[in-house]
Amino acid sequence: MSAGVWIGVALLGGVGACARFLLDSLIAARAGRDFPVGTLTINASGSLLLGLLTGLAVEGNLLVLAGTATLGSYTTFSTWMLETHRLAEDGEGGSAIVNVVLSLAIGVGAAALGRAIGAGL
Amino acid sequence: MSEECLALTTYFGERDRTPRGLLGDELLEIYGELGLQASVLLRGAEGFGRLAHLHSDRLLTLSEDLPVVSIAVDSRERIEGALARVLQIKQRGLITLERARLFSGEIGRSALQPAPGEATKLTIYIGRENRRLRAPLFVTICELFKRRGLAGATVLLGVDGTRGGRRSRARFFGQNAQVPMIIVAVGESERIAEILPELGAVISDPLLTVERVQVCKRDGELLATPHELRGSDEHGLQLWQKLTIFSSHAAMHGGRPLHGEIVRRLREADAAGATSVRGIWGFHGEHAPHGDRFLQIRRHVPVVTIAIDTPERTARSFPIIDELTREHGLVTSEVVPALSARSAHANEGGLRLAGPARGPGSSS
Repeated sequence: MSAGVWIGVALLGGVGACARFLLDSLIAARAGRDFPVGTLTINASGSLLLGLLTGLAVEGNLLVLAGTATLGSYTTFSTWMLETHRLAEDGEGGSAIVNVVLSLAIGVGAAALGRAIGAGL
Repeated sequence: MSEECLALTTYFGERDRTPRGLLGDELLEIYGELGLQASVLLRGAEGFGRLAHLHSDRLLTLSEDLPVVSIAVDSRERIEGALARVLQIKQRGLITLERARLFSGEIGRSALQPAPGEATKLTIYIGRENRRLRAPLFVTICELFKRRGLAGATVLLGVDGTRGGRRSRARFFGQNAQVPMIIVAVGESERIAEILPELGAVISDPLLTVERVQVCKRDGELLATPHELRGSDEHGLQLWQKLTIFSSHAAMHGGRPLHGEIVRRLREADAAGATSVRGIWGFHGEHAPHGDRFLQIRRHVPVVTIAIDTPERTARSFPIIDELTREHGLVTSEVVPALSARSAHANEGGLRLAGPARGPGSSS
């Protein structure tokens, strides 16, 4: 990879993280803190977009920049895990399980849908 | 030794800044420079203020500006000196002044003259790693309080503070042995008067404050509704009311943690604000002192939730708290004689001390 692509990864990674922070703040301000709806929405939308990119057969530097850098820093596995653990700490084991199962189901479904849409375009 | 004193408490956001740095650091810098007898900086777990923005460490994004509470205690003159400097740098958030009695050094048996039926709040300032006979000092003190039949005690870990005039700040690497923690205990005044001399024997350099409180609820049982206050004293100075709910992290209401439900319902009811602070050890009511255990997922530490408001709004908030604490929790009420709340949009209250309110619930 050229130096330009590395710089692009760094910049777009920052853009993805900022987008996540802003969107999560907006969602949390409305949905409250009972259930991590923000993280779920971000991971689902990121999965859909990454599915779309691969469905469109994007490859090479463009896939690194849009997929690995931008969507990779936009979506978050660690926050999903942390917030699930916080639910369990608060005695909300049922919500913790729902958070794991629902995110998995919606995430895989969104990625598959994205791929199907991308392949059809 | 005992003297009348003032407690200066500020509530603000972890990320609030002054031109020189973080507000929390700057405040404790002032308290350290002035060598205040006791002060502590506590980190909250959840809360909202007059702008009704919710901050909570349940979600990562919501935890980037958690509530912070600082408490400073000394003689009236020294606290007024500190307040003047605090007001120069603190532009937003809540400030309260409360009267208390400060004990240090030798504590005699006749230190308190309690009237029957009254309740007292005791706040003890100790270092993090003061140990006696290998058990942490806070565990020894909580056991003593439990044995003597106090209504509850909660140990809150400070991250910065002064004790006996010397500042000590928690660092990521280091012993942090001198960083203050506080133990807040509530019980019948007569029992607390008996315990005070015993504390002198357990703690090598005792430093504590005593305030009168009203116990409203204990273990779900309604003992009294908060005293109905007029909105102001005889000189027209405004009075405020502070409700404190001592509960356990494991106490639930409707499938959710009780302290979180209190914050949520108060916010929905347009209360002025509420702050929850997690303790590390404690009890309230009929169970042994408890905290978290190694490798357990569910947390069992005690939690203290504070809501300060006008007497009218407190009268509206209490039924909500009463309903939520049907089974668990210790609820106390105190009079706050001076409060200032400042935000970008409003400026409420003032910091001249109102006179003692009428009735046995006053914190005189």
